[in-house]
Amino acid sequence: MDIASARQSASGASIRISGLEKRFGAVSAVDGVDIDIAAGEFVALLGPSGSGKTTILMSVAGFEFPTSGTIHVDSEDLTYVPSNRRNLGMVFQNYTLFPHMSILDNVAFPLKMRGLRTAERHARAEAALATVRLAGYGYRRPNELSGGQQQRVALARAIVYQPRVLLMDEPLSALDKNLREDMQLEIKRLHAELGITVIFVTHDQSEALTMADRIAVLRDGKIQQIGPARQLYERPANLFTAGFIGEMNFVDVAVQSVGDDISVALPWGETWRLPATAAVEPVAAGEAAVLAVRPERLQFGAGSSGQVIAVTLSDIVYAGAALLLIGRLPDGTEMRARIPGASQLSSLAPGDVASFAIPPEAMLLYRGERQ
Amino acid sequence: MKPPTDRGSLALAAYVYAVLAFIIVPLVIVIPMSFSQNDYLTFPPSGFTLKWYSEYFDSRQWRAATWLSVQVALLTALFASVIGTAATYAMIRGRSRLVTAFQILLIGPIIVPHIALAVGLYLFFQTIGLSGTIPGFVLAHTVLTLPFVVFTMAAALGKVDANLEAAAMSCGATRFQAFRLVTLPLVLPNLVSSALFAFIISFDEPVVSFFLSGVRQKTLPRRMFEDIEQNLTPVIPAIATLLIVLSILILLGAQVLRSRSVTRIASQ
Amino acid sequence: MMEARRSHFWRSDGRRLSGLSTLLLLLPFFALVAFVFVYPILQLLVISILEPHPTSENYARVVENPVHMRVLLRTLWTATLVTALSVVLGFPVAYYMSRAKGTVAALVAVCVILPLWSSVLVRTAAWSFLFQRNGLINSALMSLGLTSQPFKLLYTQSAVVIAMTHVLLPFMILPIYGALRSIPSDYARAAAVLGATRLRTFLEVILPLSLPGVVSGSLLVFLTAIGFFITPALLGSPQEMMISTLVSKQIREVLDWPFAAALVGVLTVFVTLLAVIFSKTLRFDRLMGNAS
Repeated sequence: MDIASARQSASGASIRISGLEKRFGAVSAVDGVDIDIAAGEFVALLGPSGSGKTTILMSVAGFEFPTSGTIHVDSEDLTYVPSNRRNLGMVFQNYTLFPHMSILDNVAFPLKMRGLRTAERHARAEAALATVRLAGYGYRRPNELSGGQQQRVALARAIVYQPRVLLMDEPLSALDKNLREDMQLEIKRLHAELGITVIFVTHDQSEALTMADRIAVLRDGKIQQIGPARQLYERPANLFTAGFIGEMNFVDVAVQSVGDDISVALPWGETWRLPATAAVEPVAAGEAAVLAVRPERLQFGAGSSGQVIAVTLSDIVYAGAALLLIGRLPDGTEMRARIPGASQLSSLAPGDVASFAIPPEAMLLYRGERQ
Repeated sequence: MKPPTDRGSLALAAYVYAVLAFIIVPLVIVIPMSFSQNDYLTFPPSGFTLKWYSEYFDSRQWRAATWLSVQVALLTALFASVIGTAATYAMIRGRSRLVTAFQILLIGPIIVPHIALAVGLYLFFQTIGLSGTIPGFVLAHTVLTLPFVVFTMAAALGKVDANLEAAAMSCGATRFQAFRLVTLPLVLPNLVSSALFAFIISFDEPVVSFFLSGVRQKTLPRRMFEDIEQNLTPVIPAIATLLIVLSILILLGAQVLRSRSVTRIASQ
Repeated sequence: MMEARRSHFWRSDGRRLSGLSTLLLLLPFFALVAFVFVYPILQLLVISILEPHPTSENYARVVENPVHMRVLLRTLWTATLVTALSVVLGFPVAYYMSRAKGTVAALVAVCVILPLWSSVLVRTAAWSFLFQRNGLINSALMSLGLTSQPFKLLYTQSAVVIAMTHVLLPFMILPIYGALRSIPSDYARAAAVLGATRLRTFLEVILPLSLPGVVSGSLLVFLTAIGFFITPALLGSPQEMMISTLVSKQIREVLDWPFAAALVGVLTVFVTLLAVIFSKTLRFDRLMGNAS
């Protein structure tokens, strides 16, 4: 069997989305989005529901026409090209296998639409099925397969005609957790093997962080930040991203002076000096700001360096790999800490006051106030 | 729920079976009467004969009326299912204010009494020469049966995930190919059963037929009406029995089709 | 905005049809309904107010002539009676049907649905056999010794009411059944757990929740009964006409088109008003798919 033919796909295409806007009546679903995607890149669109991520994908697929803006694949303008002439592969949330066709006919469907002869259609469909590790399943019906298998068939159908772009609309959200993790790896493997460009829509941040080369975080139709996972997690560009990706503690502060370092007044009266690099957004003296720290960056006990806070504990949660401590700062602001391998802390009880040190490089400063 | 055993439940069951008897006995009673040897419709029927059936089949007038009704019903089933399915598809996948107008106009022929429509068509079709013609009957019956086709097809098309067509189009199918290769096969059982229902409604339709029938072109219901009104011969129970058998066959066919379509669409 | 709307008219975006395709697919329907439904009815309404000259006298004749007024009132009364009888007979059947399982459920469903899809003429003819002087009912009454003389049953208003109830009963049972089936069975269980007797559960939970079905069924029966033609024409007395038989007589015997058109106008406007007022509760689709 010619497995290679499904794999020897031309490498992916580059995609340029510029000035994309989509209005439904008075509501802007997508509001001026620009994304440049390199050939072969894996980009995730991540955001809460209603953030516009699916509308962007549907515009690329040709299932929505934008109000304004353009979509180019390589240098070809596809903005208003009908979906069936875009030659893009697409995987939907709910498998969308044709229930009245065999698995093989499902996978061969795009080839039939492209006028290939039956024998070649079947050979290439078999090869695509082998690529998703479902060789030999061709003569079954979709309802005889599990959800994960069905989604792999959908994947085979999307890549069988070697498209240069693969669009995926929350393809794993209908699967249960274990299957989802298997499929994440499967999709990563396929991406690496085929060199295809992938746009992947998800509302699951861990999925986006695990799979994508770059992640675009969306909110209210606007891109909040676009970058690799590490950058998004370690230095979120604004308060929304900071709160949306992972867990984050926020404390309202007042900026007192900005110079070689930044001094801020904390709600309980202390004044801290932060390194100038802590300011993700430019801040000015006299303005309100928010100090953000990841729970796992807090160090138990008055550590060697950084600022020390006193937290009155309210909950102590054993969470396997780490101990989660939840409490309040002197002004009442909630503070969480995740302390790894902390079995020595078993003596802690609610009501205790614990000290934590925050390393200077763990502190991020944003303009504005806590939401 | 446990099987009812107490007195209240027994009383309910007794009442219900009495009502069901009221519903079904008048239908069933015509069957023995159709085999009765008496020339007058007396009860109880006596003897056994098939002469009323042969009288029906041998009569040129009955045969002509039946053949006219068959032609009208077949054409009505064809037009109603095609026009109704197209309109339902537009209603479900379409984008237009016309859809609202469609939904309002659709129930018009159900709400407005058939006598009103029949009288209106009688007048209109006489002036344009459609009265008593096959096209005239077919046009009228198509309007009367369309709502039932649309209800059936709306239920069926509503169950077909719109993303299935989108998936087909992302595979390179045109909109029409997506409909023909994906949606249509999935709703075909429902389409056939809606055509069956359109057929039986048209075949049995008495009121519009009553007014549109000419002196020579009479549908089966119109001829039956005259026979019942004037002399009520025992050939009527024979025809009634045949019509009941036809209804049973059509309902059975629809049931088989429905069970197939449900398993198909629900299996995705 | 205009740009986008225009593009939707000419272009399909994949999930939705373009406005143009929607229009083309609906066109045969609109053409047919305009030609075979809207135009003939409007033509009648126009005749009723313009012939023999612009006038309201055709309508005046409907209300001012006591004979015609009696026909109107008899029609309303008959339709009301048929509706009430259908509720009384139909509700328990629908309730029983909604709880039945297996063979019993199938049997009940067949008894309700088969008549719906069999010819109105067959059902009316069956009643005319039963109501004859020497028909089943009179033979039964006489052999039981309840009467020595056969009753006159055929060509009476009672015959019309009984046969119309028989014909329209499925229109009542199916909407009520649909409403009852959509009540989660947990509700009855919850009420029982909370201490309600079966009767209280029925009166305070099941009955109120099934009311939309009762209203919908009653409207269907009432609207259909008001314009019913076949059964009154074949079983009713010529002295006790209904509006439909009066219309038929005006057209076939008297040839008084303007007056017949006015009668049809009254009928059409009345049922349309009722349908508009209750448009939220009318569920015609219940007659098709959701029955079994």
